[in-house]
Amino acid sequence: MTKKTPLKGIAEKLIFVAVILAAWEIVARAHVFGARSEIIFPRLETIARAFVKNFVMGYAGVSLWVYLFNSMKLLLEGMAIGILLAFLFSGLCMVSHGFHNVYSLVVAVADLLPGVALLPVVIIIFGVNPGVIVFLVVHSVIWPMSRNLIDGFKSVPKLYVEAGRNLGLSGAGMLFDVYFPAAMSYILSGLKVGWARAWRGLISAEMIFGIAAAPGIGMYINQMRTNMNNAEMYATLVVIIIIGLVVQYGILNPIEKHTVVKWGMRKL
Amino acid sequence: MSALLKIEGLCKVYDDDSREHAVIDDLNLEVAQGEFLCILGPSGCGKTTLLRCIAGFEHCKGKILVDGREITGPGTDRIMVFQDFNQLFPWLTVEKNIQFALKRQGIRDRARLEAITSDVLKKVKMDGHERDYPYQLSGGMKQRVAIARALALKPAIILMDEPFAALDAITRNTLQQEVLAISQQENCTFIFITHNIQEGIVLGTRLMLMQPGGKIAIDTKNPIARPVSPSSPGYGPLWDRLYAALYDTQHANNT
Repeated sequence: MTKKTPLKGIAEKLIFVAVILAAWEIVARAHVFGARSEIIFPRLETIARAFVKNFVMGYAGVSLWVYLFNSMKLLLEGMAIGILLAFLFSGLCMVSHGFHNVYSLVVAVADLLPGVALLPVVIIIFGVNPGVIVFLVVHSVIWPMSRNLIDGFKSVPKLYVEAGRNLGLSGAGMLFDVYFPAAMSYILSGLKVGWARAWRGLISAEMIFGIAAAPGIGMYINQMRTNMNNAEMYATLVVIIIIGLVVQYGILNPIEKHTVVKWGMRKL
Repeated sequence: MSALLKIEGLCKVYDDDSREHAVIDDLNLEVAQGEFLCILGPSGCGKTTLLRCIAGFEHCKGKILVDGREITGPGTDRIMVFQDFNQLFPWLTVEKNIQFALKRQGIRDRARLEAITSDVLKKVKMDGHERDYPYQLSGGMKQRVAIARALALKPAIILMDEPFAALDAITRNTLQQEVLAISQQENCTFIFITHNIQEGIVLGTRLMLMQPGGKIAIDTKNPIARPVSPSSPGYGPLWDRLYAALYDTQHANNT
Protein backbone atom coordinates (compact mmCIF):
# COMPACT_ATOMS: atom_id res chain seq x y z
CA MET A 1 0.00 0.00 0.00
CA THR A 2 1.37 3.41 -0.89
CA LYS A 3 1.56 6.08 1.76
CA LYS A 4 -1.21 8.61 1.52
CA THR A 5 0.19 12.07 0.88
CA PRO A 6 -1.68 15.23 1.87
CA LEU A 7 -1.61 16.29 -1.79
CA LYS A 8 -3.45 13.13 -2.81
CA GLY A 9 -6.05 13.76 -0.13
CA ILE A 10 -6.66 17.27 -1.45
CA ALA A 11 -6.84 16.00 -5.04
CA GLU A 12 -9.50 13.45 -4.10
CA LYS A 13 -11.62 16.12 -2.48
CA LEU A 14 -11.20 18.52 -5.40
CA ILE A 15 -12.24 15.85 -7.91
CA PHE A 16 -15.33 15.11 -5.83
CA VAL A 17 -16.30 18.80 -5.72
CA ALA A 18 -15.67 19.17 -9.47
CA VAL A 19 -17.95 16.21 -10.23
CA ILE A 20 -20.76 17.65 -8.06
CA LEU A 21 -20.42 21.07 -9.74
CA ALA A 22 -20.39 19.52 -13.22
CA ALA A 23 -23.54 17.52 -12.40
CA TRP A 24 -25.21 20.71 -11.15
CA GLU A 25 -24.33 22.58 -14.32
CA ILE A 26 -25.59 19.76 -16.55
CA VAL A 27 -28.92 19.67 -14.68
CA ALA A 28 -29.13 23.46 -14.84
CA ARG A 29 -28.51 23.60 -18.60
CA ALA A 30 -30.88 20.72 -19.33
CA HIS A 31 -33.83 22.66 -17.83
CA VAL A 32 -35.00 19.48 -16.10
CA PHE A 33 -37.66 21.36 -14.14
CA GLY A 34 -38.94 23.31 -17.09
CA ALA A 35 -39.90 26.88 -16.29
CA ARG A 36 -38.92 26.56 -12.64
CA SER A 37 -35.47 25.27 -13.53
CA GLU A 38 -33.78 28.66 -13.41
CA ILE A 39 -35.04 29.15 -9.86
CA ILE A 40 -34.33 25.67 -8.52
CA PHE A 41 -31.08 25.10 -10.40
CA PRO A 42 -29.54 28.43 -11.39
CA ARG A 43 -26.41 28.04 -13.50
CA LEU A 44 -23.08 28.15 -11.73
CA GLU A 45 -22.20 31.38 -13.46
CA THR A 46 -25.39 33.02 -12.16
CA ILE A 47 -24.59 31.84 -8.62
CA ALA A 48 -21.02 33.11 -8.94
CA ARG A 49 -22.28 36.54 -10.05
CA ALA A 50 -24.77 36.53 -7.16
CA PHE A 51 -21.93 35.63 -4.80
CA VAL A 52 -19.99 38.73 -5.85
CA LYS A 53 -23.12 40.86 -5.85
CA ASN A 54 -23.91 39.81 -2.26
CA PHE A 55 -20.68 41.33 -1.08
CA VAL A 56 -20.51 44.33 -3.43
CA MET A 57 -24.12 45.49 -3.41
CA GLY A 58 -25.75 43.41 -0.71
CA TYR A 59 -29.38 43.92 0.21
CA ALA A 60 -30.90 47.40 0.50
CA GLY A 61 -27.42 48.88 0.23
CA VAL A 62 -25.98 46.80 3.10
CA SER A 63 -23.23 44.39 2.05
CA LEU A 64 -23.26 40.74 3.13
CA TRP A 65 -20.03 41.54 4.96
CA VAL A 66 -22.04 43.52 7.51
CA TYR A 67 -24.48 40.65 8.05
CA LEU A 68 -21.59 38.22 8.28
CA PHE A 69 -19.75 40.39 10.78
CA ASN A 70 -22.85 40.68 12.98
CA SER A 71 -23.38 36.90 12.92
CA MET A 72 -19.77 36.08 13.67
CA LYS A 73 -19.62 38.57 16.52
CA LEU A 74 -22.65 37.05 18.24
CA LEU A 75 -21.45 33.53 17.47
CA LEU A 76 -18.02 34.11 18.99
CA GLU A 77 -19.49 35.80 22.06
CA GLY A 78 -21.90 32.92 22.59
CA MET A 79 -19.31 30.23 21.97
CA ALA A 80 -16.81 31.83 24.34
CA ILE A 81 -19.41 32.05 27.12
CA GLY A 82 -20.73 28.53 26.38
CA ILE A 83 -17.29 26.91 26.35
CA LEU A 84 -16.18 28.69 29.52
CA LEU A 85 -19.36 27.70 31.36
CA ALA A 86 -19.05 24.11 30.12
CA PHE A 87 -15.49 23.93 31.45
CA LEU A 88 -16.54 25.52 34.74
CA PHE A 89 -19.53 23.25 35.35
CA SER A 90 -17.80 20.09 34.15
CA GLY A 91 -14.82 20.92 36.35
CA LEU A 92 -17.19 21.36 39.32
CA CYS A 93 -18.70 17.96 38.51
CA MET A 94 -15.29 16.40 39.09
CA VAL A 95 -15.03 18.10 42.49
CA SER A 96 -18.55 17.60 43.85
CA HIS A 97 -20.66 14.45 43.55
CA GLY A 98 -23.84 16.35 44.42
CA PHE A 99 -23.22 18.94 41.71
CA HIS A 100 -22.46 16.19 39.19
CA ASN A 101 -25.68 14.42 40.07
CA VAL A 102 -27.82 17.51 39.51
CA TYR A 103 -25.88 18.80 36.51
CA SER A 104 -26.21 15.44 34.68
CA LEU A 105 -29.98 15.85 34.91
CA VAL A 106 -29.81 19.45 33.69
CA VAL A 107 -27.65 18.43 30.71
CA ALA A 108 -29.91 15.48 29.86
CA VAL A 109 -32.98 17.72 29.86
CA ALA A 110 -31.56 20.88 28.33
CA ASP A 111 -29.63 19.15 25.54
CA LEU A 112 -32.88 17.80 24.14
CA LEU A 113 -34.57 21.20 23.92
CA PRO A 114 -34.09 22.77 20.48
CA GLY A 115 -32.87 26.33 20.93
CA VAL A 116 -35.43 27.60 18.44
CA ALA A 117 -38.22 26.15 20.60
CA LEU A 118 -36.95 28.23 23.50
CA LEU A 119 -36.83 31.43 21.43
CA PRO A 120 -40.38 32.65 22.11
CA VAL A 121 -39.89 32.37 25.85
CA VAL A 122 -36.46 33.97 25.69
CA ILE A 123 -37.83 36.85 23.66
CA ILE A 124 -40.67 37.41 26.13
CA ILE A 125 -38.10 37.60 28.92
CA PHE A 126 -35.29 39.53 27.25
CA GLY A 127 -37.04 41.31 24.39
CA VAL A 128 -35.86 41.28 20.79
CA ASN A 129 -32.17 42.13 21.02
CA PRO A 130 -28.85 40.56 20.03
CA GLY A 131 -28.56 39.04 23.51
CA VAL A 132 -31.25 36.55 22.51
CA ILE A 133 -29.01 35.17 19.75
CA VAL A 134 -26.07 34.97 22.16
CA PHE A 135 -28.29 33.11 24.61
CA LEU A 136 -29.21 30.65 21.88
CA VAL A 137 -25.60 30.06 20.88
CA VAL A 138 -24.66 29.48 24.53
CA HIS A 139 -27.51 26.99 24.77
CA SER A 140 -26.30 25.16 21.64
CA VAL A 141 -22.69 24.90 22.84
CA ILE A 142 -22.83 24.35 26.57
CA TRP A 143 -24.69 21.02 26.75
CA PRO A 144 -22.86 18.93 24.11
CA MET A 145 -19.59 20.44 25.31
CA SER A 146 -20.42 19.55 28.94
CA ARG A 147 -21.36 16.00 27.95
CA ASN A 148 -18.04 15.53 26.21
CA LEU A 149 -16.01 17.14 28.98
CA ILE A 150 -17.62 15.06 31.72
CA ASP A 151 -17.24 11.87 29.66
CA GLY A 152 -13.65 12.85 28.91
CA PHE A 153 -12.77 13.57 32.54
CA LYS A 154 -14.36 10.29 33.61
CA SER A 155 -12.34 8.34 31.05
CA VAL A 156 -8.99 9.67 32.24
CA PRO A 157 -7.04 6.51 33.19
CA LYS A 158 -6.61 6.07 36.94
CA LEU A 159 -2.93 5.49 36.22
CA TYR A 160 -2.39 9.10 35.06
CA VAL A 161 -4.20 10.42 38.12
CA GLU A 162 -2.12 8.29 40.47
CA ALA A 163 1.11 9.14 38.67
CA GLY A 164 0.08 12.81 38.94
CA ARG A 165 -0.66 12.52 42.66
CA ASN A 166 2.66 10.78 43.14
CA LEU A 167 4.45 13.64 41.37
CA GLY A 168 2.81 16.15 43.69
CA LEU A 169 -0.36 17.21 41.85
CA SER A 170 -3.72 17.96 43.40
CA GLY A 171 -6.75 20.20 42.88
CA ALA A 172 -6.42 22.74 40.07
CA GLY A 173 -2.94 21.48 39.14
CA MET A 174 -4.36 18.02 38.56
CA LEU A 175 -7.22 19.47 36.51
CA PHE A 176 -4.99 21.54 34.22
CA ASP A 177 -1.95 19.25 33.98
CA VAL A 178 -3.62 15.83 33.84
CA TYR A 179 -7.38 15.95 33.26
CA PHE A 180 -7.37 18.53 30.43
CA PRO A 181 -4.61 17.02 28.29
CA ALA A 182 -5.74 13.46 28.99
CA ALA A 183 -9.31 14.34 27.94
CA MET A 184 -8.18 16.35 24.90
CA SER A 185 -9.79 13.98 22.36
CA TYR A 186 -13.15 14.44 24.08
CA ILE A 187 -12.67 18.20 24.40
CA LEU A 188 -12.03 18.48 20.66
CA SER A 189 -15.05 16.32 19.82
CA GLY A 190 -17.12 18.56 22.09
CA LEU A 191 -15.80 21.64 20.29
CA LYS A 192 -16.71 20.19 16.90
CA VAL A 193 -20.25 19.30 17.93
CA GLY A 194 -20.64 22.54 19.87
CA TRP A 195 -19.44 24.69 16.99
CA ALA A 196 -21.72 22.97 14.48
CA ARG A 197 -24.75 23.26 16.73
CA ALA A 198 -24.00 26.90 17.48
CA TRP A 199 -23.62 27.82 13.82
CA ARG A 200 -26.85 26.06 12.88
CA GLY A 201 -28.72 27.45 15.89
CA LEU A 202 -27.58 30.95 15.09
CA ILE A 203 -28.74 30.83 11.48
CA SER A 204 -32.10 29.28 12.42
CA ALA A 205 -32.72 31.94 15.04
CA GLU A 206 -31.77 34.74 12.66
CA MET A 207 -34.07 33.35 9.97
CA ILE A 208 -37.04 33.09 12.30
CA PHE A 209 -36.52 36.18 14.44
CA GLY A 210 -34.26 38.47 12.46
CA ILE A 211 -33.04 41.14 14.79
CA ALA A 212 -32.94 44.53 13.15
CA ALA A 213 -30.35 45.90 15.56
CA ALA A 214 -27.85 43.28 14.40
CA PRO A 215 -29.01 41.70 11.12
CA GLY A 216 -27.10 38.47 10.48
CA ILE A 217 -26.50 35.99 7.71
CA GLY A 218 -29.68 34.02 8.51
CA MET A 219 -31.74 37.16 8.07
CA TYR A 220 -29.98 37.80 4.77
CA ILE A 221 -30.95 34.37 3.45
CA ASN A 222 -34.50 34.99 4.53
CA GLN A 223 -34.61 38.32 2.70
CA MET A 224 -33.28 36.64 -0.46
CA ARG A 225 -35.98 34.00 -0.10
CA THR A 226 -38.73 36.61 0.31
CA ASN A 227 -37.57 38.37 -2.84
CA MET A 228 -37.13 35.14 -4.82
CA ASN A 229 -33.44 35.94 -5.33
CA ASN A 230 -32.62 32.25 -5.46
CA ALA A 231 -29.15 32.60 -6.95
CA GLU A 232 -28.27 35.01 -4.11
CA MET A 233 -29.73 32.53 -1.64
CA TYR A 234 -27.54 29.73 -2.99
CA ALA A 235 -24.55 32.07 -2.99
CA THR A 236 -25.17 32.80 0.71
CA LEU A 237 -25.33 29.05 1.41
CA VAL A 238 -21.93 28.81 -0.27
CA VAL A 239 -20.65 31.48 2.14
CA ILE A 240 -21.94 29.41 5.07
CA ILE A 241 -20.24 26.32 3.66
CA ILE A 242 -16.96 28.21 3.18
CA ILE A 243 -17.03 29.42 6.79
CA GLY A 244 -17.66 25.86 7.96
CA LEU A 245 -14.71 24.60 5.92
CA VAL A 246 -12.42 27.35 7.19
CA VAL A 247 -13.27 26.49 10.80
CA GLN A 248 -12.85 22.73 10.19
CA TYR A 249 -9.66 22.81 8.15
CA GLY A 250 -8.17 26.09 9.32
CA ILE A 251 -8.82 25.89 13.06
CA LEU A 252 -10.07 22.53 14.36
CA ASN A 253 -7.86 20.21 12.29
CA PRO A 254 -4.64 22.11 13.07
CA ILE A 255 -5.48 22.05 16.79
CA GLU A 256 -6.02 18.31 16.52
CA LYS A 257 -2.80 17.83 14.59
CA HIS A 258 -0.76 19.73 17.17
CA THR A 259 -2.25 17.94 20.16
CA VAL A 260 -3.83 14.48 20.14
CA VAL A 261 -2.32 13.41 16.80
CA LYS A 262 1.16 14.60 17.81
CA TRP A 263 0.81 12.75 21.12
CA GLY A 264 -0.16 9.49 19.40
CA MET A 265 -3.59 9.55 21.08
CA ARG A 266 -5.54 9.73 17.81
CA LYS A 267 -4.99 9.32 14.08
CA LEU A 268 -5.68 12.25 11.78
CA MET B 1 20.40 3.49 63.23
CA SER B 2 16.66 3.81 62.96
CA ALA B 3 14.86 2.40 59.95
CA LEU B 4 14.09 4.62 56.95
CA LEU B 5 10.67 3.03 56.56
CA LYS B 6 8.74 1.79 59.54
CA ILE B 7 5.32 0.15 59.24
CA GLU B 8 3.37 -0.58 62.42
CA GLY B 9 0.16 -2.58 62.63
CA LEU B 10 -0.86 -2.00 59.01
CA CYS B 11 -4.38 -3.18 58.18
CA LYS B 12 -6.14 -2.81 54.87
CA VAL B 13 -9.69 -3.97 54.37
CA TYR B 14 -11.43 -3.97 51.00
CA ASP B 15 -15.18 -3.69 50.97
CA ASP B 16 -16.69 -5.65 48.12
CA ASP B 17 -20.32 -6.81 47.91
CA SER B 18 -20.91 -5.98 51.56
CA ARG B 19 -18.30 -8.60 52.42
CA GLU B 20 -15.25 -7.22 54.15
CA HIS B 21 -12.02 -8.76 53.07
CA ALA B 22 -8.80 -8.08 54.96
CA VAL B 23 -5.96 -8.04 52.43
CA ILE B 24 -3.40 -7.04 55.01
CA ASP B 25 -3.91 -7.76 58.69
CA ASP B 26 -1.50 -6.30 61.23
CA LEU B 27 1.68 -6.11 59.18
CA ASN B 28 4.87 -4.81 60.76
CA LEU B 29 7.96 -4.04 58.72
CA GLU B 30 11.15 -2.05 58.92
CA VAL B 31 13.32 -1.22 55.94
CA ALA B 32 16.78 0.30 56.38
CA GLN B 33 18.27 3.03 54.22
CA GLY B 34 19.94 1.60 51.09
CA GLU B 35 18.21 -1.78 51.22
CA PHE B 36 16.84 -3.39 48.07
CA LEU B 37 13.83 -5.27 49.36
CA CYS B 38 12.26 -7.74 46.96
CA ILE B 39 8.79 -8.93 47.87
CA LEU B 40 7.57 -12.23 46.45
CA GLY B 41 4.22 -13.84 46.95
CA PRO B 42 1.26 -15.42 45.22
CA SER B 43 -1.38 -13.30 43.51
CA GLY B 44 -3.75 -11.67 45.96
CA CYS B 45 -1.41 -11.91 48.94
CA GLY B 46 -1.39 -8.15 49.42
CA LYS B 47 1.99 -7.24 47.87
CA THR B 48 0.62 -4.55 45.62
CA THR B 49 -1.70 -3.29 48.35
CA LEU B 50 1.28 -2.95 50.69
CA LEU B 51 3.17 -0.97 48.06
CA ARG B 52 0.14 1.25 47.39
CA CYS B 53 -0.22 1.91 51.11
CA ILE B 54 3.43 2.94 51.30
CA ALA B 55 2.92 5.17 48.24
CA GLY B 56 -0.01 6.81 50.03
CA PHE B 57 -2.66 5.82 47.47
CA GLU B 58 -4.77 3.79 49.92
CA HIS B 59 -6.59 4.60 53.11
CA CYS B 60 -5.40 2.11 55.68
CA LYS B 61 -5.15 1.57 59.42
CA GLY B 62 -1.84 1.56 61.21
CA LYS B 63 1.20 3.74 60.93
CA ILE B 64 3.64 4.22 58.05
CA LEU B 65 6.65 6.34 58.90
CA VAL B 66 9.29 7.50 56.45
CA ASP B 67 12.36 8.96 58.11
CA GLY B 68 10.39 9.24 61.34
CA ARG B 69 7.48 11.19 59.83
CA GLU B 70 4.08 9.63 59.43
CA ILE B 71 2.83 9.75 55.85
CA THR B 72 -0.66 11.03 55.08
CA GLY B 73 -0.77 10.77 51.27
CA PRO B 74 1.33 10.45 48.15
CA GLY B 75 4.61 12.36 48.06
CA THR B 76 7.70 12.75 45.94
CA ASP B 77 9.81 11.10 48.66
CA ARG B 78 8.21 7.79 47.56
CA ILE B 79 7.96 7.39 43.79
CA MET B 80 6.07 4.49 42.30
CA VAL B 81 7.10 2.79 39.06
CA PHE B 82 3.97 0.98 37.89
CA GLN B 83 3.77 -2.25 35.92
CA ASP B 84 1.71 -0.53 33.22
CA PHE B 85 3.83 0.88 30.39
CA ASN B 86 1.42 3.79 29.99
CA GLN B 87 2.39 5.56 33.17
CA LEU B 88 4.20 8.33 31.27
CA PHE B 89 2.01 11.26 30.25
CA PRO B 90 1.51 10.78 26.48
CA TRP B 91 1.13 14.54 25.90
CA LEU B 92 4.63 15.30 27.16
CA THR B 93 7.95 14.41 25.54
CA VAL B 94 10.39 12.20 27.42
CA GLU B 95 12.25 15.23 28.80
CA LYS B 96 9.08 17.10 29.73
CA ASN B 97 7.79 14.01 31.53
CA ILE B 98 10.93 14.05 33.64
CA GLN B 99 10.98 17.82 34.17
CA PHE B 100 7.28 18.04 34.99
CA ALA B 101 7.63 17.12 38.66
CA LEU B 102 10.99 18.91 39.00
CA LYS B 103 9.32 22.16 37.95
CA ARG B 104 6.62 21.62 40.52
CA GLN B 105 9.35 21.27 43.11
CA GLY B 106 10.45 24.78 42.22
CA ILE B 107 13.38 24.07 39.91
CA ARG B 108 12.93 26.70 37.18
CA ASP B 109 16.49 27.11 35.93
CA ARG B 110 16.52 25.65 32.44
CA ALA B 111 20.18 24.65 32.45
CA ARG B 112 19.70 22.80 35.73
CA LEU B 113 16.56 21.04 34.48
CA GLU B 114 18.38 19.92 31.35
CA ALA B 115 21.40 18.77 33.34
CA ILE B 116 19.24 16.61 35.63
CA THR B 117 17.29 15.22 32.65
CA SER B 118 20.35 14.27 30.67
CA ASP B 119 21.97 12.76 33.77
CA VAL B 120 19.04 10.46 34.61
CA LEU B 121 18.45 9.53 30.97
CA LYS B 122 22.10 8.45 30.68
CA LYS B 123 21.65 6.29 33.76
CA VAL B 124 18.84 4.36 32.09
CA LYS B 125 20.58 4.45 28.68
CA MET B 126 17.87 6.57 27.11
CA ASP B 127 19.94 9.62 26.15
CA GLY B 128 19.08 10.77 22.66
CA HIS B 129 15.35 10.21 23.20
CA GLU B 130 14.68 13.53 24.96
CA ARG B 131 12.30 14.83 22.29
CA ASP B 132 10.41 11.58 21.66
CA TYR B 133 6.80 11.19 22.70
CA PRO B 134 5.99 8.07 24.75
CA TYR B 135 3.99 6.46 21.91
CA GLN B 136 7.20 6.37 19.87
CA LEU B 137 8.93 4.18 22.47
CA SER B 138 8.80 0.42 23.10
CA GLY B 139 7.52 -1.00 26.39
CA GLY B 140 11.01 -1.49 27.80
CA MET B 141 12.02 2.04 26.83
CA LYS B 142 8.93 3.48 28.52
CA GLN B 143 9.83 1.63 31.73
CA ARG B 144 13.37 3.03 31.52
CA VAL B 145 11.98 6.55 31.24
CA ALA B 146 9.63 5.89 34.16
CA ILE B 147 12.64 4.84 36.22
CA ALA B 148 14.52 7.95 35.07
CA ARG B 149 11.55 10.12 36.08
CA ALA B 150 11.67 8.53 39.53
CA LEU B 151 15.45 8.95 39.87
CA ALA B 152 15.27 12.64 38.89
CA LEU B 153 13.21 13.42 41.97
CA LYS B 154 15.81 11.83 44.26
CA PRO B 155 13.18 10.06 46.34
CA ALA B 156 14.01 8.32 49.61
CA ILE B 157 12.27 5.18 48.36
CA ILE B 158 11.54 3.92 44.85
CA LEU B 159 8.55 1.59 44.80
CA MET B 160 8.41 -0.82 41.89
CA ASP B 161 5.35 -2.96 41.25
CA GLU B 162 6.43 -5.73 38.89
CA PRO B 163 7.79 -3.16 36.46
CA PHE B 164 9.25 -5.77 34.11
CA ALA B 165 6.50 -8.41 34.28
CA ALA B 166 5.12 -7.59 30.84
CA LEU B 167 8.49 -7.49 29.09
CA ASP B 168 10.15 -10.19 27.02
CA ALA B 169 12.83 -12.27 28.76
CA ILE B 170 15.81 -10.59 27.07
CA THR B 171 14.68 -7.04 27.77
CA ARG B 172 13.78 -8.11 31.27
CA ASN B 173 17.29 -9.42 31.99
CA THR B 174 18.90 -6.29 30.55
CA LEU B 175 16.71 -4.04 32.66
CA GLN B 176 17.41 -6.12 35.77
CA GLN B 177 21.13 -5.53 35.28
CA GLU B 178 20.57 -1.84 34.79
CA VAL B 179 18.37 -1.45 37.86
CA LEU B 180 20.98 -3.38 39.83
CA ALA B 181 23.73 -1.03 38.65
CA ILE B 182 21.59 2.03 39.42
CA SER B 183 20.74 0.73 42.89
CA GLN B 184 24.44 0.33 43.62
CA GLN B 185 25.25 3.89 42.48
CA GLU B 186 22.28 5.72 43.97
CA ASN B 187 21.75 6.51 47.60
CA CYS B 188 18.21 5.21 47.40
CA THR B 189 16.09 2.48 48.94
CA PHE B 190 14.13 0.15 46.68
CA ILE B 191 11.03 -1.91 47.37
CA PHE B 192 10.45 -4.19 44.41
CA ILE B 193 7.54 -6.55 43.88
CA THR B 194 7.97 -9.54 41.62
CA HIS B 195 6.52 -12.94 40.86
CA ASN B 196 9.84 -14.08 39.54
CA ILE B 197 12.16 -15.79 42.06
CA GLN B 198 15.24 -15.32 39.85
CA GLU B 199 14.52 -11.59 39.62
CA GLY B 200 14.18 -11.36 43.40
CA ILE B 201 17.48 -13.14 44.06
CA VAL B 202 19.38 -11.14 41.42
CA LEU B 203 18.15 -7.74 42.59
CA GLY B 204 17.35 -7.98 46.28
CA THR B 205 19.70 -7.42 49.19
CA ARG B 206 16.77 -8.65 51.25
CA LEU B 207 14.01 -11.06 50.24
CA MET B 208 10.56 -11.24 51.68
CA LEU B 209 7.81 -13.71 50.91
CA MET B 210 4.23 -12.81 51.71
CA GLN B 211 1.28 -15.09 52.29
CA PRO B 212 -2.39 -14.29 51.79
CA GLY B 213 -3.57 -11.86 54.46
CA GLY B 214 -0.29 -10.00 54.27
CA LYS B 215 1.55 -12.44 56.56
CA ILE B 216 5.31 -12.42 56.13
CA ALA B 217 6.43 -16.04 55.69
CA ILE B 218 10.09 -15.45 54.88
CA ASP B 219 12.15 -12.34 55.57
CA THR B 220 15.85 -12.86 54.99
CA LYS B 221 18.97 -11.05 53.90
CA ASN B 222 20.15 -12.23 50.50
CA PRO B 223 23.30 -14.20 51.36
CA ILE B 224 24.54 -14.49 47.78
CA ALA B 225 27.38 -12.23 46.71
CA ARG B 226 26.63 -9.90 43.78
CA PRO B 227 26.57 -10.17 40.83
CA VAL B 228 24.25 -13.11 41.21
CA SER B 229 23.98 -15.82 38.57
CA PRO B 230 22.34 -19.26 38.75
CA SER B 231 25.85 -20.70 39.24
CA SER B 232 26.56 -18.53 42.29
CA PRO B 233 27.15 -20.58 45.44
CA GLY B 234 23.93 -20.85 47.43
CA TYR B 235 21.64 -19.86 44.55
CA GLY B 236 20.07 -23.29 44.23
CA PRO B 237 19.11 -23.82 47.89
CA LEU B 238 17.75 -20.28 48.19
CA TRP B 239 15.71 -20.68 45.02
CA ASP B 240 14.36 -24.02 46.31
CA ARG B 241 13.43 -22.52 49.66
CA LEU B 242 11.56 -19.62 48.09
CA TYR B 243 9.93 -21.84 45.50
CA ALA B 244 8.74 -24.33 48.15
CA ALA B 245 7.31 -21.53 50.30
CA LEU B 246 5.69 -19.86 47.32
CA TYR B 247 4.20 -23.17 46.18
CA ASP B 248 3.01 -23.98 49.69
CA THR B 249 1.20 -20.68 50.11
CA GLN B 250 -0.27 -20.97 46.65
CA HIS B 251 -1.33 -24.53 47.36
CA ALA B 252 -2.79 -23.60 50.74
CA ASN B 253 -4.57 -20.72 49.04
CA ASN B 254 -6.20 -22.97 46.47
CA THR B 255 -7.43 -25.67 48.82
